[in-house]
Amino acid sequence: MTHDLLALLALLSPLVAAVVLFIIAPLRVRGAVSAALTIGATSVSLVASVLLAAARMFGATAPNVDLQLAWLPGGAQTLATVGVYVDPVAAPMMVVVALVALCVQVYSVGYLGHEPSRDRGRYFAYHALFAFSMLGLVMAPNLLQLFVCWELVGLASYLLIGYYWTKPSAGQAALKAFWVTKFADMGLMLGLMVLYVKTGGFDWNVPVGQALMTADAETIAGLFFLAVVGKSAQFPMHIWLPDAMEGPTPVSALLHAATMVAAGVYLIVRAYPIFMLAPTVLTVMVYLGAFTALFAAVVAVFQDDIKKVLAFSTCSQLGYMVAALGTGSMVSGYFHLTTHAFFKALLFLTAGSLIHAVHSNSLHDMGGLWAKMKPTGILLIIGSLALAGFPMTAGFFSKDLILEELLHAGHYLPLGAAILAAGLTAFYMTRVVMLSLFGAPSEAAEHAHESPAVMLAPMVLLAVLALAGGLLHGDFARMAGVEAAFHVTPVGVVATLVGFSGIGLGLWRFSPGRRTAIGTQWVSAPMRLLTWLTASKPVDVFFAGFYRQAMLRAAAGIAWFDRYIIDALINLSGWAVLRGAERFRELQTGQPTDYVYAVVGGLIVLTAMGVFTA
Amino acid sequence: MLGIVALSLIALCIFGAGLMAVRSGNLVHSVLWLAVALASTSAMYLVVGATFLSAVQIILYTGGVITLMLFGVMLTDRNETTKIGNPSGRRALGAITALAMFGLIVAAVSQTDFLGGGGTLVDTQALGRALLTDHLLAFEALSMLLLAAMLAAIVVARRRDP
Amino acid sequence: MIPVNGEVLQLLLILGAGLFALGLYGVLTRKNTIGLLIGLELMANAVNLNLVAFGRYHGGTDGQVFTLFTIALTVAEVAVGLALVILLHRSRRSTDLDAAADLHG
Repeated sequence: MTHDLLALLALLSPLVAAVVLFIIAPLRVRGAVSAALTIGATSVSLVASVLLAAARMFGATAPNVDLQLAWLPGGAQTLATVGVYVDPVAAPMMVVVALVALCVQVYSVGYLGHEPSRDRGRYFAYHALFAFSMLGLVMAPNLLQLFVCWELVGLASYLLIGYYWTKPSAGQAALKAFWVTKFADMGLMLGLMVLYVKTGGFDWNVPVGQALMTADAETIAGLFFLAVVGKSAQFPMHIWLPDAMEGPTPVSALLHAATMVAAGVYLIVRAYPIFMLAPTVLTVMVYLGAFTALFAAVVAVFQDDIKKVLAFSTCSQLGYMVAALGTGSMVSGYFHLTTHAFFKALLFLTAGSLIHAVHSNSLHDMGGLWAKMKPTGILLIIGSLALAGFPMTAGFFSKDLILEELLHAGHYLPLGAAILAAGLTAFYMTRVVMLSLFGAPSEAAEHAHESPAVMLAPMVLLAVLALAGGLLHGDFARMAGVEAAFHVTPVGVVATLVGFSGIGLGLWRFSPGRRTAIGTQWVSAPMRLLTWLTASKPVDVFFAGFYRQAMLRAAAGIAWFDRYIIDALINLSGWAVLRGAERFRELQTGQPTDYVYAVVGGLIVLTAMGVFTA
Repeated sequence: MLGIVALSLIALCIFGAGLMAVRSGNLVHSVLWLAVALASTSAMYLVVGATFLSAVQIILYTGGVITLMLFGVMLTDRNETTKIGNPSGRRALGAITALAMFGLIVAAVSQTDFLGGGGTLVDTQALGRALLTDHLLAFEALSMLLLAAMLAAIVVARRRDP
Repeated sequence: MIPVNGEVLQLLLILGAGLFALGLYGVLTRKNTIGLLIGLELMANAVNLNLVAFGRYHGGTDGQVFTLFTIALTVAEVAVGLALVILLHRSRRSTDLDAAADLHG
């Protein structure tokens, strides 16, 4: 009972904040009030989430919270329910969402301190909306509510990417993100329809005795996976994520690194009973995930924009998760999702701190910041080490788990790609660290100064988790019903060595003495072609072309059909009625005698019927 | 037998007067022929034993309606209204329609077997009692209707410009 | 005074039918509004005649009471009708029915 209340509190307090802020404009235009309200609500959610999770992890086994209200009554039965559902799968994700959201919101107070009060108010209202939507997604008792919240986080993402709405590029990026993910979301919707037709409900646990046919499961899982590819930025629908970096950096940390993009992975985790019935889809997931991991890692190496490096890195890490889930190991993928949320949010926040200091996203404009910003520098190094899978950091444990699962499942090609990607990850993060923190300070870096405590505190909290999060792996394993203890394996050793060599290569290549040419300029002409290819330009071109050629043509065709066929039919009927009416009005002669004739005619007919049928 | 003869004679009177009323080219004559038809009907009522109705028929129709109609004729333009003609085409169509109606009613009447009959005679006292007991509500409602009709006639025909 | 048996009733009904047809003819052919009213009176009279005949055939007071009512109604109708004729004449300077063809579509 208490837990029911806690779950409702966790879900509804951000909703209250969001509704209050959206409706009551005088509160919203005061940035401080809006921030306080949103942060307060998220804090409530965090406390509730931690309490709920603590009772379900670390060996404790509280019963699931399952509070459902009838929704969409249709005929005799209820079509679906809405409510809160907290089980050992949802609980850790709730903590991750609430924790990262709170960190990011607190950080934003400092990061956006110079923005107009009115804009900050809007920003925090969006954040409250996002926190509610994401928690609703995580706590959804069925896939329909998950879908609704899935769309809501998409809306929040759109709004937050377009936060700097006066910048055309931000507006375009928001639209691009919206349309690409929206296209993918159709998969989720169609999948839900098929699921409903086949099972009569939206539950991820298919009722016993109503086992899905494999073909149906393949269809549903395949359609769901389409949505995952869009939301979790897998190749070839990753193109929106780098553009989404137009949003404020804290937004990138929360939505486009830690939580929202992970919603796709979470969907797989939730719908795992269905995915497990679809071996083909699982295999596709392994290969596509591994390819994305490698591809995005390669692209990340060539980026000059620190946020773009991190964005492609996010694509890459999400690829790991998808591949891991494809092997049939829910634990490894889910665990990596958690640890990645911590260290990638940390990296984005530190990147935001650097950007805040030099007022530029470009690695060219950074350099030599170590001297000015030691705390941020340490935090950035911690995050990079965790991402690179340095031993005993959070990323080390989760990545190792994934590689082992790939080995066990016998997917050797994806395993190789993943190990290679791990090395590249270490390399590009070393590059970021070396270029931004060390070497000769650039002009902009001369005036850099350390960020205020309100920005540093959340980063420190995330850094602690990025270092220590790996210790939770046992609990995650128990959650899935398996006992797992970390042990050193050959594949882990190989991966670690590859990681070390990546770090070493980066240290050598970007050491302060050698950084005469930096960024993309260090590559030769063939490499530039590679850069162009890998920077997803062809994919962009393909999508744009597809949109212009196919979609617009189709839309024009439909518009033509509507205008000249449908409208014509309607106009024709209207014209016919008008002309008919003009003819029929002649019946009304106005002559009283004619009306008498009409009456008498009827009378005669009736009398004749009476007489001749009698 | 004498009764039947008298009845047939009166019937002829009614029919002939009616014919003249609808055929006459002079409106005043037409009205007067109508008066003859109505008075003959009154005589018919007398023959079949509806004495009170016979009196009412004379008073209301020949006294009231005919007078009213003559006033109507006189109040409207005499030169135009007294001389009325009918286009032949309309006359033929009207005659056909009226004959069809007549034929159908006669067919209906002749198809029906009227057996027995000859109900008891009703005297005026019984009629008055029925009117003021069983049919009192309808009687009173009728008086309201007559009042309304009178007011309506005044309002409609009133001269707007003094 | 004669009793109204089946034969007499039939005779009266046929007389009523003839009177009704005459009135209908007048209504259908008259172009003058007062002429039309005369036709209407004949039709109403035919109806009254039928009512009286049936009333006497069946016995009882109802037939005659009903006839009284219809006579009164007819009088009211004539009063209003003539008022309308006068109104028409005043506004159109004519009692011709064609003058009242305002409802022409």
